[in-house]
Amino acid sequence: MWDNPSLRCLLAIAFLHLLSLIYSQETGFPEAPGNLKCITHDLNRTICSWGATSSANLGLTYKICYTNSEPFSPVCIETEGKRADIPVAMGSTNIQITTLNASGTPLATETFVLPEENVSLIPLTPQILNLSADFSIYTLYLKWNDRGSVFQHELDASWQIQILRKETMETVTLINYDSKLTGKDSILSWNWTSDIPLECTSYCVKIRCYINEPYFTGRKEWSEWSPIRTVPEKDTKPNSAMVFPQDKVVLVGSNVTFCCLYNEGESIKYMKYGSKSYPLFRLSKWSSAIKVQNVSASISSGTNVWCSLVPDGLEGTVLFVGYAPDTPQNLNCETRTFITITCSWNPGRPTALYTQRQTKYILFERISRENVTCKVDELNKKHHCDFPVHANQNIYNFTLGASNPLGQAESSLLIDVNQRVHLETPDKFTVSANSSTNAHLSWYIPGNLIQIRLLCQIEISNSNSERQLNVSMAGAENSNYRARVDALHPYATYTFRVRCSASEHFWRWSKWSEEKKITTLEAPPARGPDIWRERSPVGETLTVFWKPLLPSEANGLILSHEVSCYPQEIMLKAHEVPVPLNSTEIKLGGNDCLIIVVAKNRAGSSPPSRITSVDLPSGNVKTELAIAKGNGIYISWHSDPNVTCGYTLKWCISSGSEPCTVDWEMFPSNATDAVIKSALFQPGVRYNFSLYGCKHNGYQLLQNIMGYMKELPPKVAPNFTVEETSSDSILVKWEDIPVEDCQGFLKGYILYFAKGEKGSSKTSFREEDKTEKNITDLTKKSLRILDLQGKTSYRLDLRAYTVGGIGPSKDLYVVTKENSVGLIIAILIPVAVAIVLGVVTSILCYQKREWIKETFYPDIPNPENSKALQFQKNICEGNTALKTLEMNPCTPNSVEVVETRSTVLKIEDTEIISPVADSELPEDGSDPETGSHVVVSYCPPIIEEEISSPPIDEPVGSSQVIYIDIQSMYQPQVNPEEEPEINFVTTAGYKPQMQLPINAMKMESHSPTEEDLDKTAGYRPQANTNVWKLDSPDSPVSIQSNNENGSFGSPCSINSRQFLIPPKDYEDSPSPNNTGWSFTHFFQNKPND
Amino acid sequence: MLYVSGEISGDSWGIFAFLCAALWNLPTIPALNSTDEVGAGQSIQKTYDLTRYLEHQLRTLAGTYLNYLGPPFNEPDFNPPRMTRAEMVPSATVDFELWRSLNDNARLAANYRAYTHLLCYLRSMDGQVAKAELRKNLGHFCTSLQGLVVSIASVMSSLGYPLPSPLGSANPTWAQGLGATSPHNDFLKKMDDFWLLKELQTWLWRSTKDFNRLKKKVPPTALMLRLEARGF
Repeated sequence: MWDNPSLRCLLAIAFLHLLSLIYSQETGFPEAPGNLKCITHDLNRTICSWGATSSANLGLTYKICYTNSEPFSPVCIETEGKRADIPVAMGSTNIQITTLNASGTPLATETFVLPEENVSLIPLTPQILNLSADFSIYTLYLKWNDRGSVFQHELDASWQIQILRKETMETVTLINYDSKLTGKDSILSWNWTSDIPLECTSYCVKIRCYINEPYFTGRKEWSEWSPIRTVPEKDTKPNSAMVFPQDKVVLVGSNVTFCCLYNEGESIKYMKYGSKSYPLFRLSKWSSAIKVQNVSASISSGTNVWCSLVPDGLEGTVLFVGYAPDTPQNLNCETRTFITITCSWNPGRPTALYTQRQTKYILFERISRENVTCKVDELNKKHHCDFPVHANQNIYNFTLGASNPLGQAESSLLIDVNQRVHLETPDKFTVSANSSTNAHLSWYIPGNLIQIRLLCQIEISNSNSERQLNVSMAGAENSNYRARVDALHPYATYTFRVRCSASEHFWRWSKWSEEKKITTLEAPPARGPDIWRERSPVGETLTVFWKPLLPSEANGLILSHEVSCYPQEIMLKAHEVPVPLNSTEIKLGGNDCLIIVVAKNRAGSSPPSRITSVDLPSGNVKTELAIAKGNGIYISWHSDPNVTCGYTLKWCISSGSEPCTVDWEMFPSNATDAVIKSALFQPGVRYNFSLYGCKHNGYQLLQNIMGYMKELPPKVAPNFTVEETSSDSILVKWEDIPVEDCQGFLKGYILYFAKGEKGSSKTSFREEDKTEKNITDLTKKSLRILDLQGKTSYRLDLRAYTVGGIGPSKDLYVVTKENSVGLIIAILIPVAVAIVLGVVTSILCYQKREWIKETFYPDIPNPENSKALQFQKNICEGNTALKTLEMNPCTPNSVEVVETRSTVLKIEDTEIISPVADSELPEDGSDPETGSHVVVSYCPPIIEEEISSPPIDEPVGSSQVIYIDIQSMYQPQVNPEEEPEINFVTTAGYKPQMQLPINAMKMESHSPTEEDLDKTAGYRPQANTNVWKLDSPDSPVSIQSNNENGSFGSPCSINSRQFLIPPKDYEDSPSPNNTGWSFTHFFQNKPND
Repeated sequence: MLYVSGEISGDSWGIFAFLCAALWNLPTIPALNSTDEVGAGQSIQKTYDLTRYLEHQLRTLAGTYLNYLGPPFNEPDFNPPRMTRAEMVPSATVDFELWRSLNDNARLAANYRAYTHLLCYLRSMDGQVAKAELRKNLGHFCTSLQGLVVSIASVMSSLGYPLPSPLGSANPTWAQGLGATSPHNDFLKKMDDFWLLKELQTWLWRSTKDFNRLKKKVPPTALMLRLEARGF
């Protein structure tokens, strides 16, 4: 009906009309109906209800007349209640309600206009048809009827489902569910999964509905809630406390809620998961729960969850936490016997679930549609499954399914059984050897192998080789297989084993069979032994040597060697020499013969080895030296054209006291060198080799060779002695080192010698002292060491050396003799010179005695007239290059001069205190500022003139003279250019004349200026008293201590008793003089000589 | 099968003890009416030794098994209330005085019954263990316990006591009853296992005392002397 648009339009108009009239005029009667309300459940009928002013309505009835629109005549109905059911009309509806009394008399009439907007659409209250629960998965299932048949057309419906806890009526969840009404009744269903076990608490459910009709203009409201339905309780309701969920299996990482149900009178103390206690939250009066987040894999028996109850109770459950099965990895199916196909796989990640919860595997074959349940022992980690091989089926498409309570996985594999043959291990393996080169093998392989060919691999190994032999053979059913192995070596032990596979489609080798060991039979030796012979010195006997054959050549156990001697094709005698002897002696009796040696074993004799006994005479045989090379000895020789059947190099290795073992090696005729190696060669041991050439008529010794495998330094030092000693030479003699101690070819001797006494620094020479002499001439057995010092101890050290190095040393201490002649000469010559000088001086003095007297001892001592000083002055004049002696700041303590003339010299007491005295000198006496030049100090003479007048001041304290020169501590550094000046000064002969305290002798020293050089260069007359100012402030008493040329003492004339240099000159000297001299200087230099 | 594997791979002393007990008892079991005290004396001694050995063996096994069950079963102070379900396991918590007042026959019969029950239960436990090593040890212990049951039967027969009503492992009724009442809940199964081990321990302790007492009552030395007197 509602589908018709014209009808809808009419309905709308009717509602609008009703709306305009609904507020009708009230008559004012108490029985008049009013407050009209209309609702619809199905958009078909409208249920209207009204009220009345009067409450007493006994016997009253109502007549309702309604008209949908003008053209239609009104429809009237009578009702006793204040409610009427009228059809829904388009637009508005005119409703006239008349109140009738019991007699049917109208009491009041009211007219309403009811528009559609004033009608409410309230769906019928839904009814829950069914409510069930699956406790294992905590899920509720709800079913209800949508009553779609109420409406004539499709409509959108919404449903609201509320789940409440029964006890508290607390809403657990409110869910909206939309559906479509199709015009007929439908059963709707919905389920809800709880996050806690349903057993933990009771739930109840209610539902309501809402119809969304877009063309209905009235109000649309939710229906009433359906009656509450309670979740049915579990059939086996526990009568005691319990913990839920029971024995549940969950994935690792899940969140699980556990609840503990308990009875009246009990209370919960704590609840634990594993060994950890969790906070409880209350679900109901008799139920509490804990929530465990992110559970980890449980122990093999499952994780226990338990609650402890008060007063005395314990309940629990077990939770199994694990993983869903992993996809089976490396699925491999193969057959061993063509009876079953065995599939094996790797289960992947462990599920942590065991026993009945462990992963179950089913092998399904798609082509035959057969499946096999695999018995998997999860504990032993064996995962394989057998599937029967079907006749006439080669292709198999396997799917392996894995499942456990948490999930499932599968893996597939398509195989051709003929291409997946992995045979069983060959069994009953036997090997038999019935000849020296062959062996027969046999083995058994189970299975129906008729349809394939086998490829078997036989491994043959002995101590030094290993090889594999592949054999192909037809397959059979549970059969033995045989093979023969050729080309084995006689009398050799071999180990055999075998494995097999399918030949055409190789898949995999079987396991190796057990090993079998056999020894092949013996065969005659493959060749004759290497032989050599040596004739005795007399030539009567011949010793024949042979080398043992290698096992590969012997072909068996060599029992003996047969040695025969054939002089001129007639056998002289045959010797049977048992093993292990490797030589024999044959008496030649003066005849040469052909020696034949044959090795014998149980299987027979070897081919003969031949050698002639003839030794050709050799001329002058040279001995040469061989060179060590690698681990051998390199020997070379000159090719001899007469040698036709090769060379033989023979040597002998002796070990201890036993006779040496003869060994040899043969070379072809064109060989000219060889490196001889032997395990018996030792480094440092000399070996003698003899080279023989094989000529058509016999052997000839060509050469002797000595050599070392490796040269070492000599083992001992040469034994040496001192034959002769003089004051400057030593004659040393030594002996040869024995050959066995040389350990190499001696290259020479090294003699070290140096000064040294026994017992001091014995360990080694000091490099700078030692002298080395290399003696390379080995024939020389003595050496004279020259240019030695007399009466000196020398240490001698002689060593021998080879290419291998220098040998140990031997020391000798020798003291050279004293040189007596030299000493005598050294004494006599100076004495003679002194005597001669004395005589000459005496003669000269005698001849010039008058002049000397006049000069040095005039009657009146007047310095101005002193010729000596004039003489001195003259000497110094014109020699400006000469440097004068410096005046040291040495001043007499007191000088008194009694002058009888006008030029009176008065010297007062002067006390000189040197500031240097206060300052400490370095302990070593060094003074860096004075190192650049030499300053000669002098001490002014004490004037010991006769005093004619009484002394004005205190007398001179002492008459002793002390010479102090600070330079005495240093080696004078004299400029070579200034040397003549020193010599000159030396000849001047000063004499100390005054005592000076040491601590008062630091004085300023000045070099004379250029113009004063003439004054300072020589002696000064002491009579010049005008410039003689000892007590002046400028005197050398000055305490200036920073003078780098400060010196002590003052030069004094040996002969003169007068002052030589006026102090003034020093004061004016601007620069120091670099030249100086003193007496002490001489003595200081003396020890250095 | 499991017994076989346990027998093969168990420690040598267990096998030795079991074999000794079994071999000794085999010829004596048929002679149920025999009252030969020589056999009884030696049987008592062997049974006593076996009990001691089982006590020792159980100590190791219980430790491993309780660890396998996990907390709280392996906690030292765990002492849950004995629940009604556990009453299927014969209790050794009989009053000491009451126990002593019983005669030898009654005590031996109680021992026999208890071990038969316990053995049956132990075997049902064995199949559910997830650890191979533990399963092996359990199998081994079952074998030894089987030996003890046989030994007790042997002692009883040699002393002339009748065997108690057959409630052993061979009795399907009892086994069914055990299966029917066995809890569905894994936790309760664990609890039962715990009680089983505890009961076993108490029973073995009690049996050791019983057989020691019995041994003193029938001393083997006296028996030997009597044997000599008989001219053996």
